[in-house]
Amino acid sequence: MRIYGLELLRGLTITLRHFVTSYMGGIFTVQYPEERLKPPERFRVLPVLIFDGKKEEQWKPETERCTACGICAKVCPPQCIWIVQGKDPATSKPVAKASEFFIDVDVCMNCGFCAEYCPFDAIKMDHNFELGGGERDKSHIFDINKLHVSTEYYAETHPKAWSEEQGRKKADADKKAAAAAMKNQMGSDPAGSDPNRVSV
Amino acid sequence: MRGTTRKSCRRSAKPVTLSFMTQSKVLFRPSEEEILEQEVKRHILITPWGGLLKMLDPLYNWGRRSSLWPLQFGLACCAIEMICTAASRFDIARFGAELFRASPRQADLMIVSGTVTKKMVPMIVRLYNQMPEPKYVISMGACASAGGPFKEGYNVVSGIDKFLPVDVYIPGCPPTPQALLHALITLQKKIDGQSIKTVRWYGKPEGEEVPVPLLGPDLVDVRRAEEIREKCASPEGQAKPVPLPVMIPAPKATPAQADGVSPAAAALSERINKALGEVVAAPSGNSLMIESSALPKVARYLQLQPDLALDYLSNLTCTDYQDCYEVVYHLFSTRRPGPAVTLKVQMPKEDPRVPSLMPLWPGADLQEREVWDLFGVRFDGHPNLKRVLMWEGFEGHPMRKDYLEPYYEAPDKIFPSRWKEGRHQRAEERTPFSDNVKYPAGFDPARWSAPKEGFASAPDTLVINLGPQHPSTHGVFRMQVRVDGERIVALEPVMGYMHRNHEKIAERNTWLMIFPYTDRLDYICSMGNNLGYAIAVEKLLGVKPTERAEYIRVIMAELTRIVNHFWATGFLLNDLGAFFTPALYAIEERELILDLFEMASGSRMMCNYMRFGGVAADLPEEFLPLCNSLVNNRLPKAIEQLDRYLTKNEIILNRCRGVGVLPRDAAIAYSAAGPVLRASGVEYDVRKAEPYSIYDRFDFKVPTFPEGDVYARYRIRIAEMWESLKILKQALKEIPNGEILAGKKLWNIRVPAGEAYGRVENPKGELGYYVVSDGTDHPYRYHVRAPSFINLTALGKMCEGHLIADVVAILGSIDIVLGETDR
Repeated sequence: MRIYGLELLRGLTITLRHFVTSYMGGIFTVQYPEERLKPPERFRVLPVLIFDGKKEEQWKPETERCTACGICAKVCPPQCIWIVQGKDPATSKPVAKASEFFIDVDVCMNCGFCAEYCPFDAIKMDHNFELGGGERDKSHIFDINKLHVSTEYYAETHPKAWSEEQGRKKADADKKAAAAAMKNQMGSDPAGSDPNRVSV
Repeated sequence: MRGTTRKSCRRSAKPVTLSFMTQSKVLFRPSEEEILEQEVKRHILITPWGGLLKMLDPLYNWGRRSSLWPLQFGLACCAIEMICTAASRFDIARFGAELFRASPRQADLMIVSGTVTKKMVPMIVRLYNQMPEPKYVISMGACASAGGPFKEGYNVVSGIDKFLPVDVYIPGCPPTPQALLHALITLQKKIDGQSIKTVRWYGKPEGEEVPVPLLGPDLVDVRRAEEIREKCASPEGQAKPVPLPVMIPAPKATPAQADGVSPAAAALSERINKALGEVVAAPSGNSLMIESSALPKVARYLQLQPDLALDYLSNLTCTDYQDCYEVVYHLFSTRRPGPAVTLKVQMPKEDPRVPSLMPLWPGADLQEREVWDLFGVRFDGHPNLKRVLMWEGFEGHPMRKDYLEPYYEAPDKIFPSRWKEGRHQRAEERTPFSDNVKYPAGFDPARWSAPKEGFASAPDTLVINLGPQHPSTHGVFRMQVRVDGERIVALEPVMGYMHRNHEKIAERNTWLMIFPYTDRLDYICSMGNNLGYAIAVEKLLGVKPTERAEYIRVIMAELTRIVNHFWATGFLLNDLGAFFTPALYAIEERELILDLFEMASGSRMMCNYMRFGGVAADLPEEFLPLCNSLVNNRLPKAIEQLDRYLTKNEIILNRCRGVGVLPRDAAIAYSAAGPVLRASGVEYDVRKAEPYSIYDRFDFKVPTFPEGDVYARYRIRIAEMWESLKILKQALKEIPNGEILAGKKLWNIRVPAGEAYGRVENPKGELGYYVVSDGTDHPYRYHVRAPSFINLTALGKMCEGHLIADVVAILGSIDIVLGETDR
């Protein structure tokens, strides 16, 4: 004789086992919003621009890292970045600063190319995902003011990348200092050794 | 009590006014009424009607906010994250929103999760109209809000809010489950602020519905019909002239001795010409150029020669050249390993025609229809040549180079409007209709009559539509079923509801930009998609990835396979009626693997992790220990558990064995791939047949089952997970240190002119990329051989003679993802 339903009971033991183990090993559920998953450092949502400064400070053109080179806009797959290169108010010559910067977050695909290919560490991927709101026409076009966050904020969200960046910059500065010392010592400059050198 | 209060209110009203008038006369002596009023105020609580309602509001709002029942309705990638939100890790039940209702009549929250296409939007509006008030809409992700990365596509609606009122928008692509929960909380807060006095659903006249848009030559918003007619009657309604994409001449057939001709191609064409007794084939690079009229003969010859045995038509597509259309066929043999034999047929631009290969390979069916749909090439002898991705009546063949979308801006990216003087402008502002639509001159929506579609009626049978909104179609997929009673007489898959113009957009993108778009093909397996694309382009670039990168790629690809098979098994059980419980446990393991992906690449689903010559970033240091413990401890247990509880389950046995049988020969002829092919007893796996990356170094088997039924397709997935674990263990043991990218990291790459077909064994089957480069920074032609799409060709055959309820199980066992099916 065949007894029906045994497999059903067997299946139910899975649920029972999960129920029991939840009292021993803790539950799998993350109780958002009281509790959150810690995002890994590389976690990416929307891009932000970085300025050198503290969190409470406001972004200023002097602290802006972006040089308006446009690589982020050029590498952006859905082309959601718009940049206006700044001009010197006195001479109206273009300067290496962005005067306007837009990201259409309703087109952005969070791919992270802009941050990956930025040569100046000026654009990075933010971790803030709590962005839901009741309106999109105005609030979903992020402008240069909305996009800027401080290096202090960035250092908190990306501690590893930040320390790597600091290390890299320090090494570069050391190299430069050494080269300058060498130059002074030798009295003549080794041609072409310094790419930043301005030829006269 | 209440009566008294109201009465006294009314009575006191008049005397108060009187007392004001008589104030000057009787200054300090309040009248009797005033005394009475003060007494009443002191001892009896008077609550006006408005105040009472206000007291009711918190209760009224609490009821609605705590029982938001979402419609079980998913459009694209975001829907996967929505499902994860409902699963155990994020548990939407904590917010009272776990009751996903399959019927709109029982739902009050529509989560528009993913890209809204023109073909789908009439159904979405209809669903919304069927939902009873109060109802809410969450627009999840960039696509639903405004079209997202696919905005420029010809079949994409620029935001669901063009048709439905949206309560909460979530930016992100895709928003994580936590972001969706945040949006849900935002919506709850919004509900908390509502008042019973002002909500829109009381006192609303009956039948106030959103008019369902019309599918004409393009999407027609019927509320704007008059405006559309007027604009189409004048030149104002037509787009301004713009520069067209540059077209290149087609590669020509060359003499066998010419440079660049592969000896194999030369020898094979000579052999064909000799055997058929006429000159019908000529070599061209690595491929054979075939006379159009002789194509069936040549194909038949190649199929039947025992030493060639080219029995498997893997890929069929078309390229639009300056001087001709070229249809390309990639043939393989399931009996021996080796690269593709490529056949090409060229035809003039005027009325392009080519003989259909349907009589030889029924697997050509959907692919030929796709070429007809997108390129307008006719296949003579195809029994059912109609559009497959767009709808009948759509104007134009969109993959032709001279077809320009309404939002077309420039022939290729990088758009000059973005930089130096890049002031933000929405694409809508550039078009005559302020929307992603275009119509032929003189178009009048009122006179439009849609072409008839569907089966011809037959006596004693009934045509039923399953989908595109159906809880078990795994997305927006539709099956037209003709039934005789409960038995299926015929079934036709109808797709395109998520056709978001992947290929058209990609041909405008630079080579690098395509990576994140490939993530969104089969969004369960983005790592595998990345790998396939990287391999195809690396063939042209001649780049070899570094050793460490190869290992990382294999680890990611095999983790992806496990993710996919967990998901597929969980949802097959869903389709069999074990609703969500097996899927819950399957998703749990998937979450842990997604954590690894997120750690390495930054995103759970849209990894965008591979680059030409390597990967984007090295593994973080905590990756390998975690991955090791997962692969060695947790995953074997989880697979074992699935196996133990499901494989011998009586319901599964009864519902799956002998159902949806696809015999071995049919599986090959229908171009089935991956687990579907191997479950029919064909031992064919790209990892063995044409080893890519470093798969030739690992010890693993290719499991097969001879039965070809749903049960075999279920078991093959369990077996493949074990094999993947085997590969993972080896790879994790052997992974070397070193560089992760060959060469310099470049953001704008030029790829040498030429063409390549790169393929990988993705979890759903052979994923192929056919790329043609003209030597510039963007592909001239880019085509994806999508296993989900081509595996569906055999669906009708598998379902014939079975019951309606079995269709769901059969579809579940094929394991499709609509992002890849429709691309």
